[in-house]
Amino acid sequence: MKRDLLDILACPLCKGDLTIEIFEENDLEIITGKLFCKVCNECYPIEDGIPNMLPPDLRD
Amino acid sequence: MEDQEVKLVVRENYARVAKQNGSCCSSACCGTSKPKEISKRIGYTDEDLEAVPSGSNLGLGCGNPTALASIKAGETVLDLGSGAGFDCFLASNKVGPEGRVIGVDMTVEMVARARDNASKGGYKNVEFRQGEIENLPVEDSTIDVIISNCVINLVPNKDKAFKEAFRVLKPGGRLMVSDIVLLKKLPDFVKDSIEAYVGCIAGAATKDRYLGAIKSAGFGDVTVIDETVFPLDCMTNDPTGQAILKSLKGTPEQLKMVQNSISSVKVGAIKPNSKP
Repeated sequence: MKRDLLDILACPLCKGDLTIEIFEENDLEIITGKLFCKVCNECYPIEDGIPNMLPPDLRD
Repeated sequence: MEDQEVKLVVRENYARVAKQNGSCCSSACCGTSKPKEISKRIGYTDEDLEAVPSGSNLGLGCGNPTALASIKAGETVLDLGSGAGFDCFLASNKVGPEGRVIGVDMTVEMVARARDNASKGGYKNVEFRQGEIENLPVEDSTIDVIISNCVINLVPNKDKAFKEAFRVLKPGGRLMVSDIVLLKKLPDFVKDSIEAYVGCIAGAATKDRYLGAIKSAGFGDVTVIDETVFPLDCMTNDPTGQAILKSLKGTPEQLKMVQNSISSVKVGAIKPNSKP
């Protein structure tokens, strides 16, 4: 996930802003990390460069 | 069938398609013909097909070349149900370096495959994320054009899907979707078949209902740009289509009625500049 994507990403539940915590990144993008919605108190993981923005009840 | 159950089955099925190497879906959308042949039949040009990384066209759509034609340089495009990325890559060539394309798909295997294709093709302005069409992880009023190719029929709550599309579009933004709709209601024996659901049929809404959902989400200028009868040979000439028909356990007359009830439409709509 590229950093500049963050400005149009929103929490799928409340559509609020997300904060990001980065665990691993390279020159191009964020590889592992998590996105956090303060309002819903919900985390959305970024794994293998893919942000998983599914609502919690649809995750594996 | 519960909405949640439908979503899980759809995701499971398309995950399987994503893992198959370049072969087609096991759905009635396209049967087992070659992706390239299907894509040409639904209106993509040779140029389109050569402009994208191999493996990004799975031959799953019902055709969206018209939507792609309307995309301008510098725009932000959102593809609902982006699959292996085919339409996103074509859109990427249109928006150019100043624009960007975001693909949303609920199947992680598809998103992973699309990402591989993006890096193979050197696409820098395309991003994929795992997400749900009824709960888009996108900020309000940030998108110029929404495209979607034979996907919303799979979404259980179409009203919610179009409301979400409306929310994320900028005022004046365009919705350009192609989809399977029904001309008549399907008999219950089809509606209850999960095979027919995954094959894009049982989840389809009637045309009036579909257009009504777009209008009631707030869209203006809702126009059917093109409409074609769903290619029957997709269902009758290939083994998968036949298997689906067989699984439906209807009489030959009933099945013929089903086939005559399905249509493929391209719909355009605009989010008005001021709230209606």
